[in-house]
Amino acid sequence: MAEAAARNHQAGESYELRKVAKRGTYRAPPFLPLWALIGGVAAVVLIGAYPYYGSNAYVLSLLGKFLCFAIFALSIDLIWGFAGILSLGQAVYFGIGAYFVALSLKINYALTHPTRYGGKFPDFMEWNGLTELPHFMTPLISTPFAIFCALLVPTLLGLLFGVITFKRHIYGVYCAVITLAESLILQELIIEYQAYTGGFNGITDYSNYATPGFLWFILAVVVIFLVIARALTHSRVGTVLKSIRDNDVRAEFMGYNVANYRIFVFCVSAFMAAAAGALYAAWVGIVSFLDAGPVFSIEGVIWTAVGGRGTLIGPFIGTFLVKGAEFFLSGALAFWWQIIVGGLFIFVVLVLRDGIVGSIGNWLRKRKKGASVRQMIEDSDQKAHDRQLDWSPGGPPSVDEPVR
Amino acid sequence: MFQSIITQFLSGFSVVAILVIAALGLAIIFGVAGVINMAHGELIMIGAYTAAVVGKLGGNTFAAIPVAFVVVGLLGLVIERGVIQWIYDRPLETLLATWGVGIILQTVIKLVFGPELYYVGAPKILEGGFRMIGRLPFPWYRLFLIIIAILLLVLVFYVIFKTNFGLKVRAVRRNRAISGCLGIDTARIDMTIFAFGSGLAGVAGAVLAPIKSVSTTMGFPYAVDSYMVLVLGGVGSLWGVLTGSALIGEAETILSFIFNNVIGRLLVFLFIVIVIRIVPRGIFGYHERR
Repeated sequence: MAEAAARNHQAGESYELRKVAKRGTYRAPPFLPLWALIGGVAAVVLIGAYPYYGSNAYVLSLLGKFLCFAIFALSIDLIWGFAGILSLGQAVYFGIGAYFVALSLKINYALTHPTRYGGKFPDFMEWNGLTELPHFMTPLISTPFAIFCALLVPTLLGLLFGVITFKRHIYGVYCAVITLAESLILQELIIEYQAYTGGFNGITDYSNYATPGFLWFILAVVVIFLVIARALTHSRVGTVLKSIRDNDVRAEFMGYNVANYRIFVFCVSAFMAAAAGALYAAWVGIVSFLDAGPVFSIEGVIWTAVGGRGTLIGPFIGTFLVKGAEFFLSGALAFWWQIIVGGLFIFVVLVLRDGIVGSIGNWLRKRKKGASVRQMIEDSDQKAHDRQLDWSPGGPPSVDEPVR
Repeated sequence: MFQSIITQFLSGFSVVAILVIAALGLAIIFGVAGVINMAHGELIMIGAYTAAVVGKLGGNTFAAIPVAFVVVGLLGLVIERGVIQWIYDRPLETLLATWGVGIILQTVIKLVFGPELYYVGAPKILEGGFRMIGRLPFPWYRLFLIIIAILLLVLVFYVIFKTNFGLKVRAVRRNRAISGCLGIDTARIDMTIFAFGSGLAGVAGAVLAPIKSVSTTMGFPYAVDSYMVLVLGGVGSLWGVLTGSALIGEAETILSFIFNNVIGRLLVFLFIVIVIRIVPRGIFGYHERR
């Protein structure tokens, strides 16, 4: 009897569940929607095949550059759009990655192209009074080792930064200011130690890889990173990260170790930025202190904001639109371009809060007024996001802290 | 060696004074209105250009101070009404918007004044200097900066702690919602505070113009330094401004003397990070009640 009752109960329960399911309630979105797959393949083919149908070398070089910038913007989007950490020093990781690769390529170039005085080491070192390659740089002759360093060192730096700050509830404004100062100081270090870094002129004149094949390689990295980012943001970890972004106190109370989640996503982001920097150095063939500076960091933030933070495709669209407009308009408009950029910052903050992709998404959601549970969840998500409770310096007071 | 460190310590007071002057306006805007004003450096820069214009018209620094206060204060009012009043509830985004404002201000100034550097002379009576122990020359103008820093601190302390307006400001700082319920027009307080803080930034620009060549990009390092002062000293505390400036200014002077400029700055930055690690809200940080 009891068994039958239990079976009945179970059946009833599953009937209830089926009823709820029938009403079209929450269904996890697919890993990759069909339109995204088609659009993505089309975009990849369109960009990758440019050398076969287009002949403008300038446009080709811009394409590779923009893709690197877009990876950089994606790395900012991961921490800002999905975890609510605004870093104004992301260029530190980009710059370190770029400098490792550029130094290695330059050293190798110098081996086969002696300087004017016959030295087989980078010319800027000779100008600054060095007579041979510094010993601590000799391992960089091996390019694979340099690439390894370019990826590992920034990730470890991100880990260090995360352990120092997030473990102590330092984020929001304080994090933004500290990262800003970080990149300013790295810039000064690069300029000061010009014998090793090329200083003000940066590292130039080495054999770079601006070939169609390398463009495909960059595209492959872009696709891999997008898949990683999609897997990350669609996993349980991603859900926790979004909950931390929307209300970190509540996430903490629910038993999640907020600091560790933040550190993890910060490391992933630093890794991506470093990879973008490494690709950039290999593609463009010139790296300067500006690529590690605060202005570049904030530029990345604005690309992300214009495209739509909290969406994965947003950073790409934002980067291509803003950077593309800059390259094609700044010649004609010169000074006015800066004013447009400044106005863009204000416009994005005041009007286009969710960026281009986010706004289109909002509009589409509003059109099909089905009021599904998923939509309700997303709306409340949005509201919590808008409220942004994350600014309080040093974070919310912990429980045992006396309130003065 | 020991004696020269002492003299460096004494000359460090002028660096401290510069930091106090630059950070005061920001401390008020950031501490009370909660706005992360990335255009602070540009406001300082416009104060310096105001001093340059006043200098062209025949005035000196003493005349430039009130003019810069009014001009930049009004500019701050315009910025607040035009942009910031809509985004008080999204502090991290005030950072982006004010960065945009900063870019626009820089470009406009460059369009008006051209890319060349301007030099503003110190007033006649402040030229020259005296020699400290260790024969290190100490210009009168540096002493003047220290006096100005003290005067500005006293002024801000008076406004915040002794006037009716300051009482309201402190009430809003403590609890915005309750202050509003008690009949304080919090939006008006925010507006006034932003204009006042901008005016102080203008004064900073006018006073700092003679020790630095005036250019459109002169402000950014000051802004970053000011933020470091606030992060170290604690947001929303005037004692924090003084303490933060004193620690950063002295440490930077002495470390720069022992090593070099960049290493000095790097060490100071690491020092700040370590302090923040121990006291996350700065030395005089204010514990917000939620």
